Amino acid sequence: MNDNDTSVDISALRNEQPRFTGIESGHRACLGCGEALAARLVTEAAGPDVIYANATGCLEVFTTAWPESAWRVGWMHSLFENAAAIAAGMEAALKRQGKATKVIALAGDGGTFDIGFQALSGMLERGHNVLYVCFDNEAYMNTGVQRSSSTPHAASTTTSPSGEARMGKRHLKKDIVSIVAAHHIPYAATSSVAYPSDIRKKVRRAMAIDGPTFLHIHSTCPLGWGHDGALSIEVARLAVQTGLFPVIELERGSVVSVMPIRRVRPVTDYLSIQNRFRHLFADDDQARVELEHLQALADHNIEVYGLRGEKADALDSEGANTVQRGGMQWA
Amino acid sequence: MGIKMTRGAFARPGTSLEYKTGSWRTQQPEYHHRSAPCHTACPAGEDAQQYLALVEEGRYQLAWENIVRANPLPAITGRVCHHPCESACNRGQYDESIAIHHVERFLGDRAIKEGWDYPVSTPPEQALVVAVVGSGPAGCSAAWHLVRQGYRVDLFEALPMAGGLLHSALPPYRLPRDIMQAELERLLHTGIGFLPGKRLGRDMSLDELQADYPAIFLAPGTQRSRSWDSGGATPSDLHVGLDLLKQWTSIGTIKHWSSVAVIGGGNTAIDLARVLKHAGVESVHVVTFQSLPQSGEQLPDRMPAIAREIDQALEEGVTIHEHRGVQRLVLRGEQVVGVELVHMKEVPDSQDGAKTVTFEGTESILDVDQVIPAIGQVVDPEGLGSLLNHGEFLAADNHGRIPGHPQVLTGGDARGDRGTVSEAIGDGRRAAAQIARMLQQQADPEAREDKPIVLEQLNLNYYEYAPRPEVPVLPVEQRSASAEVQGGLEQQQVHGEGQRCLSCGSCLACDNCWTLCPDMAVLKRSEAPAGEAPYVFDYDYCKGCGLCAHECPSGYITMQAEA
Amino acid sequence: MLQALEGSQALARTVALCRPQVIAAYPITPQTHIVENLSRLVADGTLDCELVSVESEFSAASVALGAVAAGSRAYTASSSQGILLMAEVLYNIAGLRMPLVLTCANRAVSGPLSIWNDQQDSMAVRDAGWIQLYCADNQEAVDTTIQAFRIAEQCELPVMVCVDGFTLTHTLEVIDLPEQQQVDDFLPAFSFERRLDPANPISIGTLVSPDYFTEARQSHHQALENALQTIVDVQQEWGQLAERNCDALLNTSGPADARIGILTLGSIAGTLAAAMDRYTDNPATRLLTLRTFRPFPAAAIRQACQGLTDLVVLERALSPGSGGIVGAEVRAAFSEIQDAPRVHNFTVGLGGRDVPLEIYPHLHQAIRDGRGLPFAILDLEPDKLPEAAC
Repeated sequence: MNDNDTSVDISALRNEQPRFTGIESGHRACLGCGEALAARLVTEAAGPDVIYANATGCLEVFTTAWPESAWRVGWMHSLFENAAAIAAGMEAALKRQGKATKVIALAGDGGTFDIGFQALSGMLERGHNVLYVCFDNEAYMNTGVQRSSSTPHAASTTTSPSGEARMGKRHLKKDIVSIVAAHHIPYAATSSVAYPSDIRKKVRRAMAIDGPTFLHIHSTCPLGWGHDGALSIEVARLAVQTGLFPVIELERGSVVSVMPIRRVRPVTDYLSIQNRFRHLFADDDQARVELEHLQALADHNIEVYGLRGEKADALDSEGANTVQRGGMQWA
Repeated sequence: MGIKMTRGAFARPGTSLEYKTGSWRTQQPEYHHRSAPCHTACPAGEDAQQYLALVEEGRYQLAWENIVRANPLPAITGRVCHHPCESACNRGQYDESIAIHHVERFLGDRAIKEGWDYPVSTPPEQALVVAVVGSGPAGCSAAWHLVRQGYRVDLFEALPMAGGLLHSALPPYRLPRDIMQAELERLLHTGIGFLPGKRLGRDMSLDELQADYPAIFLAPGTQRSRSWDSGGATPSDLHVGLDLLKQWTSIGTIKHWSSVAVIGGGNTAIDLARVLKHAGVESVHVVTFQSLPQSGEQLPDRMPAIAREIDQALEEGVTIHEHRGVQRLVLRGEQVVGVELVHMKEVPDSQDGAKTVTFEGTESILDVDQVIPAIGQVVDPEGLGSLLNHGEFLAADNHGRIPGHPQVLTGGDARGDRGTVSEAIGDGRRAAAQIARMLQQQADPEAREDKPIVLEQLNLNYYEYAPRPEVPVLPVEQRSASAEVQGGLEQQQVHGEGQRCLSCGSCLACDNCWTLCPDMAVLKRSEAPAGEAPYVFDYDYCKGCGLCAHECPSGYITMQAEA
Repeated sequence: MLQALEGSQALARTVALCRPQVIAAYPITPQTHIVENLSRLVADGTLDCELVSVESEFSAASVALGAVAAGSRAYTASSSQGILLMAEVLYNIAGLRMPLVLTCANRAVSGPLSIWNDQQDSMAVRDAGWIQLYCADNQEAVDTTIQAFRIAEQCELPVMVCVDGFTLTHTLEVIDLPEQQQVDDFLPAFSFERRLDPANPISIGTLVSPDYFTEARQSHHQALENALQTIVDVQQEWGQLAERNCDALLNTSGPADARIGILTLGSIAGTLAAAMDRYTDNPATRLLTLRTFRPFPAAAIRQACQGLTDLVVLERALSPGSGGIVGAEVRAAFSEIQDAPRVHNFTVGLGGRDVPLEIYPHLHQAIRDGRGLPFAILDLEPDKLPEAAC
């Protein structure tokens, strides 16, 4: 028996949800899209008094197939590489108009790490009151999974395929949050779509700061990473729990807090459930070396950021998503 | 005809609702209540998961009412039950099982203390009257459930007071008499017509009952001890376990020996061994061919006695000889001076059964001055006429119906296939339901398999490790015949157990599905009918990714292929 | 009030009179003096606006776009490489129908590198969907800049005001700079209905499918065509206010019975006007100064060319492998027209090469020689060419 109550007036109910709706249903993201979820969580936490500048990418494409738009907030997409500059212009205008409306820039990893990097750096340097959110799905997904400077080492993409001579991407993932934090901005942080309350906390923190802030959200891409959409949260959680994606906060360039990992998982737990790393599990010497390399990268993160939890903590990798009856943990 | 292009191709907010992404779906999530293992494991039919949720919300009276709708004697079962709910509890595989029986006991005690009314109204005068014979757990349960369903009940009891086996066989250190009496008294005041001192076969006959009542529930218990001998020999002054226990619980004394062997592995054997120990018997031995319980393992030949009671008996100095049988009595004249023990074990046979085998060459002598068999009781045939059909017990189906006697049902120990208070309470509940169906001429309900949700169907990432609260236990040196050994939990600890409950198969209202749906296809409602999730799926937009089901902590969402 | 001002300074002060709320710019020669002067005005408190000194022209255009989208009047200026770096944003601004004003201090495009004037930069983005207005002198640049804001905001189209680099931006002229009140009367406070507003949250910059892209483009095209009338109306209104009359689309001077016409854009017009006064022995010539290049005023050009047998199109840009850019468009304007003049097309003054008064008699000689049919670079010095094609 399906307990779904069919007597409910769904469309009326949709209009009285006890949360702010920034992105509406009917968008065309893939099944289980981590970016769609992360973007929705950001808009929810940020509330209505915001306007958005969105870089070209999946998020922009799947939300705004004219004449439809999934956005319920003021939103603009200009180009791939200028989200930070558009946001800067918006912010300058609102400041001039004496309005408290916040500006949020949204971009993927391509629009942040690569093509939009210069505009981002400029915006940060000039101190605009903009929250820049990067949804990092670690490749150019909108164009069909090409490697970006955010693609992790050894991941297979359509422009870094694995084959006889190559084990996927040869280079390392760019450490964008450190680079961003080096602009000496008041707040830069990473988070993961697997930890909605962490995202909310950080969005709210950034919203309260008058100045440039940066939030880097690890967002799963079932299509590009090669996993079932149902596993989007599971995969993202493992990225955190293995140490491959450190969840950290920096103020004025210094690390001020990290999400401790209570139970550090081996990287293979994360890698083995994604097709983009499948070649690393072949009976092959190079594959074995690359697996160890990824483990070493995770170990390095854990050491550099001190991610290993000393004792159980309500905000660590196990505690941060603990549920409560009645749902208040996500508030 | 197309839509008119807007200047610069801007779009209006939220217009994506025009695009129904639900058409992409090949499988759909559904909210399904699935039974929690604590519920399916409870012989009395309690749904611990439900009342733990109420406890967490601080609604203690509602939680108690939830229990008594299945089991009217929670203060009693909260003490004496072997709580299979806790063995089944999924949390036991995660860290430690919920202390369900302590929550039950707390609620039962609180109800007595606060005088909470049983959730029932007195049956009308003109209601049909059903006869219940025997006021032990099965009889009390049947009477209660009949009253709940609007029938009047005449509850016949041979003794002057209600309780049956509770009264006669459970030592006060396990079940304090004030608690037992308070609970039974409160129950009997719910409109049950209690008729003490009426023994079947002496004060009324089965035929008379059948003539006077449209339905009869027989719960006479097992009043006659099974005969016992060893190679044809019995001690000259044979004492049977349950009789001794009854004697002791009713008059408070017991014959004094210096060394006793109690034969049997059940609760009676253990209770008696402990009573003897408290009464000053220096050396008390329990001899059983079954195994001592071992943590984490369910041995097929495990002693049926409650593990906690076995542990306490061992603490108190009782010696338990597992895998042993009595080969013969060692007599000096007619006086028992010892028993010859032999290794004995159940060995599986090729017919999926087991037979008890003794092993030659393992014999040994145990010096004792008395042997007390506690190997079980059978139904006293007095007044039952042809119902027993020369057997030891009353054979009945799962609803309690005795074949060939459409008016008569039975339950509890008299069935022979039960052995616990909770099972007896379950029997009473099922029989009452069957009587109601019979009187209303309704068909049997459809048998349905209630497979409980298992740990692997939960998402444990969303739970936090938390230890089970420590329960105070009376130190061995302070134990006596009457002081309750096992303490209870404080309210705060009970509330903590509500929080620890994983809510297996039921909605926690945790908001995970609502929060994690990338398509906003889960909508939250401020009010939902009792027992339903406060969420609904909007299938117009659900793409069927399955994320909600995967991330549902309690396994309340399942994915079903699209029709 | 008349005063001698450097072109850039005059432009900066004019922009300030228009009360922009956000200015974003990145330095590039020869635009720098405009931005420097604006920065000075902000620094000394004369101009109250957000001046965003960005890290690239790409961001300059983007910041201006973002500011307009958020509901503020915005301005930017650039040149040459800067215009080309902006190119993607320029298309975007226009396609999104965003009203903003950009001054292009016209300069050659690299490579080889040249920092000096021609009009290759603005010509390179002529198809971006912007209104393009070319100024013959600094007074016109001042007047056009003020009008540009009105036109942009009335049509919801961006306007590029093209001013020859160095030739105009770095030269002193006597300028009648309008009073603030005059400008305020002419240019209402910025109000943009499609601005991003939390209270009315529209989505700008959507993805348009093949089912609708053509219609989006056609409406943009139509908007530019409709802008011709707005440009005329706005010019008329400002002309009356400033008591300076000139034609909005193209200025015509010279004898009515002339059979030869010269059409040009930008500061060359001034050179030619002076030359016509000096070289009076040449055939009567009508001078047509094209002010509005986008939208292209084909009908106005045909009208202004009535009675001509020969029309020279003299321009400072080149489409290599094709020839003149404006020339080709003017020729196209005469296709299918009976008694249309022969169109001679010359490019001159590339990469800052001086266009002296002597160009005028050479031009007449070249017409007689037919060298501009279909196209020639008039001031080419052939002895500097390499021996073989390279």
